[in-house]
Amino acid sequence: MALKIAVLAKQVIDPEMPMAAFRIDGDAKRVVPPANIPPVVNGFDENAVEAALRIKDAQEATVTVISTGAEFALDVMKKPLSMGADELVLLQDDAFSNTIDSFLTAQLLAAAVRKLDGFDLIICGRQASDWDNAQVPLGVAEILGLSCVSLGKKVEVSDGKARVERIVPDGYEVVEATLPALVTVSNELGQPRYPTLRGIMAATRKRPTVWSKNDLALDDAQSEARITLRQLFIPISDQECEIIEGEDPADSGRLLALKLREAKII
Amino acid sequence: MTSRHPPWATLNHDLGETADIVRDTVRQFTAAEIAPRADEIDRSNQFPRDLWPRLGDLGLLGITVAEEYGGAGLGYLAHTLVMEEVSRGSASVGLSYGAHSNLCVNQIFRNGTEEQKRRYLPPLISGQHVGALAMSEPDAGSDVVSMRLRAEKRGDHYLLNGAKMWITNGPEADTLVVYAKTAPDAGSRGITAFLIERNFPGFHPSPKLDKLGMRGSSTSELVFQDCQVPAENILGKEGRGVAVLMSGLDLERLVLTGGPLGIMQSCLDAVVPYVHQRQQFGQPIGEFQLIQAKLADMYTSLSACQSYAYAVARAADRGLISRKDAAGCLLFSAERATQMALQAIQTLGGNGYINDFPVARLLRDAKLYEIGAGTSEIRRMLIGRELFRETI
Repeated sequence: MALKIAVLAKQVIDPEMPMAAFRIDGDAKRVVPPANIPPVVNGFDENAVEAALRIKDAQEATVTVISTGAEFALDVMKKPLSMGADELVLLQDDAFSNTIDSFLTAQLLAAAVRKLDGFDLIICGRQASDWDNAQVPLGVAEILGLSCVSLGKKVEVSDGKARVERIVPDGYEVVEATLPALVTVSNELGQPRYPTLRGIMAATRKRPTVWSKNDLALDDAQSEARITLRQLFIPISDQECEIIEGEDPADSGRLLALKLREAKII
Repeated sequence: MTSRHPPWATLNHDLGETADIVRDTVRQFTAAEIAPRADEIDRSNQFPRDLWPRLGDLGLLGITVAEEYGGAGLGYLAHTLVMEEVSRGSASVGLSYGAHSNLCVNQIFRNGTEEQKRRYLPPLISGQHVGALAMSEPDAGSDVVSMRLRAEKRGDHYLLNGAKMWITNGPEADTLVVYAKTAPDAGSRGITAFLIERNFPGFHPSPKLDKLGMRGSSTSELVFQDCQVPAENILGKEGRGVAVLMSGLDLERLVLTGGPLGIMQSCLDAVVPYVHQRQQFGQPIGEFQLIQAKLADMYTSLSACQSYAYAVARAADRGLISRKDAAGCLLFSAERATQMALQAIQTLGGNGYINDFPVARLLRDAKLYEIGAGTSEIRRMLIGRELFRETI
């Protein structure tokens, strides 16, 4: 029987856009989407799609990509389909605009996964490049009661288990999790494949499944935001330079050490 | 250097979802895999053959070919966009890509028999083989009908004798579309197109020519000495080569317009960051109005050339191929690209004149498009003649 893989992917503002195009609407407490620079699929989530497709290359599997948001750029979100994913499910509702609340986002995605026709493995990027919280995958695993393996650089599936090479500070460790399970992956997994023109053509013929808040049957407790955004602003960073002069290099070093100690840096 | 998103906002030409995804995909591939090698390809003058299977894997080499032959089944707008983005990363790779995917592959797809398509297209589309088209001769450039390569019928094959000149991909090509005279006295009706394989006896590609620009896109003379070509390798019909040639030239000019468009993009890729970084008189040179005027001229040229080319490409995808506009968009874009490369050099000043920056290469590369695929003079003649004749 085909392995059923769900990949959770997020549409984000392009982190490679020029700084000059980055704007914040302080009153609305939101980042203003830059004109003429389309959003992208979060880079780590592209790694997650790649991880799923490598499993699909090795065995019979279906890959369903799920994303949540208030508004989507369809040609952007179809990229996983162009790469070889089978289905795209978009959780789209004005009520889903609060993407900073990891709890709420995890509730939505967990509800969508439950609504699928079964699943064996969920693969996510380790974190999203907009808020960089790295909380949603762990939240989804908790809500669904799944084993969670984070920071994978290689994911394989056999005998009802996910075998994950997991990054640790001085290398990697190999862990196994009984399916169903959730795995997050990092860029160490390697370059995601480029969509082929055939893949692009196939993707243009596919229409995403769109679910709104009503389709997910969440109760009030599940759909209540737990985080309140108080203020959003670009921090001002100042640089000051002080030249430490001594009688010779050794004296300069001594004076520098004193300064650093006074400043409680060392 | 190219980036996934240029630091300036381009006009949204509203080309559709497929075109946008194709462009974005090729831009990402080019930025990561081709642009970083552009200087080395130029310096070494080595054709990057290793890129061909990778372009094949993406489906770019048979972009206009039907899916049943392994192609992508897309149109000329998509092909022009791919040509633009590949050329933006490296104009010489773009030129070889255009010669392969349009001049050779598309000609075989449009004019080949079922057997020829099954035999020649798959290895060309996968990138296992490199393709070329041979039309010009040492004494037959713009006056192509005066070609002298002879093809004499000998039973079930033809014997080709003579030479071709300035053939893009010539030293590398495994499969070539070659035009020859089967009836020397019949003028344009005596020309026939043939499919030549590299290992045909009597076929000798000469060493590559030492060119001003487009280095790494190998160009050479091809020598035919009693080259035996099976009769079934006629592309189209005997004596009907000019129809194959001329109809192909319109599409060739359209798709190759992506070349100068890519060079223009590359000029802005170099210039826009530079005018922020380079400081004179205590401020970035982009603060000076004379530099801003150059930026304005470059951006306007690019946008106008893109609009014209995309309009002609979309018309071609609707089956409306206009000879004067195919020639027109290449004429206009090629000349603007050369001027833009000059402006890019001027903007970079002394840095523009040394090879540590890419703009000098862009100028050398851009000039080719005023000469190859019909000179600017021939393009003007075609446009003027057509305008005059259709208004008689």
